[in-house]
Amino acid sequence: MMTQTSIDRPDEQGPDLQVSHEAAESTFREVDDSERAIPAIEFRDVTMIFDGRKILNNLSFKVMKGETKIILGGSGCGKSTTIKLVLGLLKPDSGQILVDGEDITNYGEAEMMKVRKKIGMIFQEGALFDSLSVYENVAFKLHEQGVPEADVENEVRRMLRFVNLEEAIDKMPSELSGGMRRRVGIARALVGDPKIVMFDEPTAGLDPPTARTICELAMKLRDLEDVSSIFVTHEMNNLDYLCSEYAVVNEAGEVVYEIEGEKLCLINSKVLMMRDGQVIFSGTDETLRKADDKYIQKFLRGH
Amino acid sequence: MNILTRLLLELQEMSLLAARAARGIFKKPRYVPETLAQMDSVGVGSLTIIILTGFFTGGVLSLQTYQTLASYGATDQLGYLVSISLVRELGPVLCALMVTGRVVSAISAELGSMVVSEQVDAMRALGTDPIRKLVAPRMIALLVTLPLLTLIADVMGITGGWVVSTFLFGLPSSTFLNSVRDGITTDDIIGGIIKPLVFAFLMGTIACHKGLKTEGGTVGVGRSTTSAVVTASIIVIIADFILARALQLILGTQP
Repeated sequence: MMTQTSIDRPDEQGPDLQVSHEAAESTFREVDDSERAIPAIEFRDVTMIFDGRKILNNLSFKVMKGETKIILGGSGCGKSTTIKLVLGLLKPDSGQILVDGEDITNYGEAEMMKVRKKIGMIFQEGALFDSLSVYENVAFKLHEQGVPEADVENEVRRMLRFVNLEEAIDKMPSELSGGMRRRVGIARALVGDPKIVMFDEPTAGLDPPTARTICELAMKLRDLEDVSSIFVTHEMNNLDYLCSEYAVVNEAGEVVYEIEGEKLCLINSKVLMMRDGQVIFSGTDETLRKADDKYIQKFLRGH
Repeated sequence: MNILTRLLLELQEMSLLAARAARGIFKKPRYVPETLAQMDSVGVGSLTIIILTGFFTGGVLSLQTYQTLASYGATDQLGYLVSISLVRELGPVLCALMVTGRVVSAISAELGSMVVSEQVDAMRALGTDPIRKLVAPRMIALLVTLPLLTLIADVMGITGGWVVSTFLFGLPSSTFLNSVRDGITTDDIIGGIIKPLVFAFLMGTIACHKGLKTEGGTVGVGRSTTSAVVTASIIVIIADFILARALQLILGTQP
């Protein structure tokens, strides 16, 4: 299971050491790791002009390793453009974009392909390939890499179990509901265990329980898989879930979600609010709720 | 942007697309199953319409020209006239136009819907080059199947002409077939193969380019499909004229 492999860190200290000692060692090892000081994603004064209109205007922000950056904002404020820039699906007019400290701004399509391997992208409507079954959709990347079929099947089943959709393996995308399509899209994006994941309005148009399921998947990735992510949304309940709950594995080995404050304070979720291609707020959800800005208050309350 | 700049830009984009697709053919990964599937859909799928078009075109050629030839007492030249018209002109052009209607529209609509539903972006995000995966197999399929379809159209057309001349006008079979054999030269056949190759290249490039450039949701898909079919049809007819003249000069068939 995916969750177990990440929690039970590889045993490098020898089997005779105590379990708690090992856990402590691995924790400290990660904190000391200078690699973690390099942001997973960094935007430096990125400007993007389309048809004479500035879609992004000197946008700068960082997403640290293991952090979830929730980008809030109304329609057309440049949220989706931002994550397409990370993947190099679009190119900025000026500024710099860094992924894992690597400047990808001027990368061509061939160089970008290597960068894309470490990024998973979840599209608004799932963007599943209509002509391929759920199995083939999830297996797409592995089939392209020429992985043997037996390994492909194991990986596809593991991914579909992660999103709770193993029973849909032989279905075609047209037979799935909106929420299921989104979840298959997540499974497909997570093949190869990318350490950076982009969510482009993954809950838009979904009923609240399904939206909650998607947010739980994002929390699982953040808290149990150490994934850095950008979560673009305009739905406030997504913000509530992602900023106030975290995923842990209980003694029975099940993933449960706990409310922040009881045992732990959540520090790996930050909010960025955009308006007309500019950052109007950056910080935690608590400070966002206290912000004086009229637009922010209107956005939070809905009126 | 004025029309001329837009036209030049479009021409440049199409050339780049064709060049990248061509590069894709020689580099790994090669998409053999996709290419075979496309050949099946383009070639085998178009067989019925090509057989019908060829047969009835040849038939109607016979039907319309027989009277004229009879007034000159030259009905023994009917096979020559039908076969030369078909092999040189009608076979390649009609075949290309029929395939444009059926295949160019389908390619452009399919790629267009993939663009608007972000499937092409998803493909790129998953590390696959859509030009290699989507464009190259379609181009190869067209390049391989269109000359074959043209050949079939030619044969069916001559058959149609023969059926009309023999069963409707009572011309002896041997007269018709002899004039066909005497009429067609190797140069005609070479020209008849070069033309569909060039047409296939143009049609494939236009279809894929228009499809991948689709913007504006489902309405955009309709727009790019229409535009692909119209552009490809006109380009085929214009290219036919240029090719006809070029072949005349190169092969020296006519002064």
